[in-house]
Amino acid sequence: MNIRAIASRPWIWGFAAAVLVWLVILTVSGQGGGQTVSLALSLAPYLVVVGLGQMLVITAGPGNIDVSVAPIISLAGFVSVGVAASSGSATVGVLAGIGVGVLIAVISTVAILGLSVPPIIATLAAGLVASSVTLTIATGFTAIPDPGLRQLLNVRPAGVPILAVAVAVLTGLIVLLLRRTVYGRSLIAVGQNRRAAERAGIPVARVIATTYLVSGALAGLTGALLAAYIAPSADLGTRYLLDSVAVVVIGGTLISGGRAVPVGVWGAGLFFILLDGLVNLVGWSTAAQNLLKGGLVLFVLFLAGGGDRAGGTASRFRRRPRTAAATTTTTGDNTHG
Amino acid sequence: MHVENLPAASSQDPSQGPSETPPGADRGPRAGRPVVVAKGVTKTYGRTRALNGVDLEVRAGEVLGLVGHNGAGKSTLMRVLAGLESCDDGAVLVHGKEVSGEAGPRAADFRAVRMAYQETSLCPDLTIAENIWVSSRHCLPRMRWRRAASDAVRGRLDEMFPGHGVTPRDRVEDLSLAQRQMVEITRASLVDRLDLLILDEPTESLGPDAARSLYDYVRRLTAAGTAVLLISHRIREVLSVADRVAVLRDGAVTAERFAEGLGEQDVLTLMGAHVAVPSERERAAAAHAAEGAAERPVVAELRGATGPGLREVSLRVGAGEVVGLAGLAGQGQQEVLERLWRPVRRDTKVLGTRAYVPGDRQRSGVLPLWSVAENLIVTAMRGLAKQGIRRPAEERAAVGDWVERLAIRGGADAGITELSGGNQQKVIVARAFASTAELVLLDDPFRGVDVHTKTDLYGLIRQEAAQGRSVVWYSSENAEMAHCDRVYVFRAGRVVAELVGEEISEERIIAVSFAESESDGEQSNE
Repeated sequence: MNIRAIASRPWIWGFAAAVLVWLVILTVSGQGGGQTVSLALSLAPYLVVVGLGQMLVITAGPGNIDVSVAPIISLAGFVSVGVAASSGSATVGVLAGIGVGVLIAVISTVAILGLSVPPIIATLAAGLVASSVTLTIATGFTAIPDPGLRQLLNVRPAGVPILAVAVAVLTGLIVLLLRRTVYGRSLIAVGQNRRAAERAGIPVARVIATTYLVSGALAGLTGALLAAYIAPSADLGTRYLLDSVAVVVIGGTLISGGRAVPVGVWGAGLFFILLDGLVNLVGWSTAAQNLLKGGLVLFVLFLAGGGDRAGGTASRFRRRPRTAAATTTTTGDNTHG
Repeated sequence: MHVENLPAASSQDPSQGPSETPPGADRGPRAGRPVVVAKGVTKTYGRTRALNGVDLEVRAGEVLGLVGHNGAGKSTLMRVLAGLESCDDGAVLVHGKEVSGEAGPRAADFRAVRMAYQETSLCPDLTIAENIWVSSRHCLPRMRWRRAASDAVRGRLDEMFPGHGVTPRDRVEDLSLAQRQMVEITRASLVDRLDLLILDEPTESLGPDAARSLYDYVRRLTAAGTAVLLISHRIREVLSVADRVAVLRDGAVTAERFAEGLGEQDVLTLMGAHVAVPSERERAAAAHAAEGAAERPVVAELRGATGPGLREVSLRVGAGEVVGLAGLAGQGQQEVLERLWRPVRRDTKVLGTRAYVPGDRQRSGVLPLWSVAENLIVTAMRGLAKQGIRRPAEERAAVGDWVERLAIRGGADAGITELSGGNQQKVIVARAFASTAELVLLDDPFRGVDVHTKTDLYGLIRQEAAQGRSVVWYSSENAEMAHCDRVYVFRAGRVVAELVGEEISEERIIAVSFAESESDGEQSNE
């Protein structure tokens, strides 16, 4: 295993970190290794679903980020529980959650493509709309989550939650989407070089619109499931803003776009959930937890910043890749000689 | 080593004195002492062997022209001579002192060697003055450096390119390609001590006037004892400026001649090129095609298009026709391509699908993280796919075909950035032609591509046209227009002439393009 092999499989790091944290938990608590894994597997899927959406958005290239995922999760939680209660069908409830996510994403998309608002501002604004609606619904909200769905989310044959299996399948589908479909390839092309993608005949606007809508739908799905699993609340989604970006970055997806690593979202998601567990075990406060996570994200970006396309603009005018190649050769020579 | 030295460098310039050297007067052998010497320099990148034992000597006070195909190793050699990269084997000597140590080249040894890059090294978000600081900060004062840099760059720009139309406070991003190139050359020349100036394709984006004043400046520099290394595909230009010419082929210098008495044909033969003159048969076919043009079904049409950069432009593209857009750079040709690429206005009518080959491959061509195959198929993928699902087998077959047909070095699985510029351009061209598009738009795509590759691609264009594809081709190189069925010549956003078949010739295009301006532009515009 040389460096190049690891560099071509960037998702390894997330899993490696997850295993490391798991071992630390094992030593600290001294019991129940399997139980910890099972618990992590029942919490991670929510983070993975929203993370996959965020990953697609970040892959669309520099500047693309969806900060509306957190408010969408909270809103979708209320909407799905409310709709499920009034219609009597949990499926309709989940669909309503997805629908409301798409609806909020439509606002972002119109702002980004129609009004040329930078994505971070557009999704922030759309998120504010979602928050206001959430607050309106939350006052006097009495419906309770569908017990059937809650039970389903808690089913763990042989310790493996079926939701984890379902989300693993979803991850597989996203991998196929990126590799085997025209949309997936177009998204990666747009993320690498938007101008070149446009000249190559890719409908850039359509690709970007689809991406934000998918991200909104996945956030809505997360909200619907999470509300059934825990309970709807106004800050249901709050922690998922930082976490969704973090798992994407730690998972090996390029923050500058053009390279998506769906499997890495799983590794990083498990790592984050286990890290939460460890920090709780040790007795750290929430503030300290957030400090730790923020630091981790910066650290990973720092590590990733050295290679590839950290300076996207500069590389367009200078032959960065060549220089990089030359550096690797020289270091190689030094180690051999 | 201070700011006074910056303008001082230009004041010691002989142009200020009475001894202005008449162009070409003192051409021929001049034995200055060697400034930079390469001895058996070898360099490999991954699987590619870029340099294979290069021996080269650049002497003080001479202009050495360096010619060769893209992929012959010119750019790599330049980077080694400028101290940007170390060589795997062999040695580089600056003023007789070996400087290619184990630890790689040190900047201090190469301080007096400066290079103007083909794809400029300027930071797009900074102003011109700030860019000067970036590259020449060791000769600028710590305080008030902005003023010093502005004065220096303004003075040098006025001297090198009168009428350049930029101010030191302009952001590089807002400059045209030609202006960027002027600033890049000026940047390279601004230093307290200049022993060797390397110019990599300096005139690719420059107009004839700017090119002429640049070469005037080069002659003054060499008269003052500086060596200049000139790399260009424009062989006539090299011959008219250089004292000696070195031919680089497959990573080694295969010939070194005095420029005097050397003809363009001789150089091309030394480079091992097939000369890109259309054969009689091709000519006849083109003429025949032109006759039939009237009956061809129209694929695209502009009717009195007016807008930014365009005034009352009417043109028509028939099926299977190669239509050229000629004239000086920036006269409205690219605006026409833009209209045809995105036909949103009512004055533009385009039937059928389109593909686009950009000229600025770094900015709007290459998808840097992908392999050759992925870059090549990205356009065709849409047509091959069924219900949005890709069909890998068909894609692989198409990629294999094109890699073989255009002899793309490195093969389908190489990373696109591992390839030389010419081969990257082949991939971008193949990307457009691999699609099913009925109309292919070429935006000066062969800028900086070697003769050999060009010949291949010209052949490709004619073949594709024969199969019924239409091509609209903007080129800044008038000689290329001979491969078109019909040529529209542009000046100031208007079509000033339409040439058909036999009428298409370099001389004719130049004559029409310059009808209103001065007429001695041929000299430097090839």
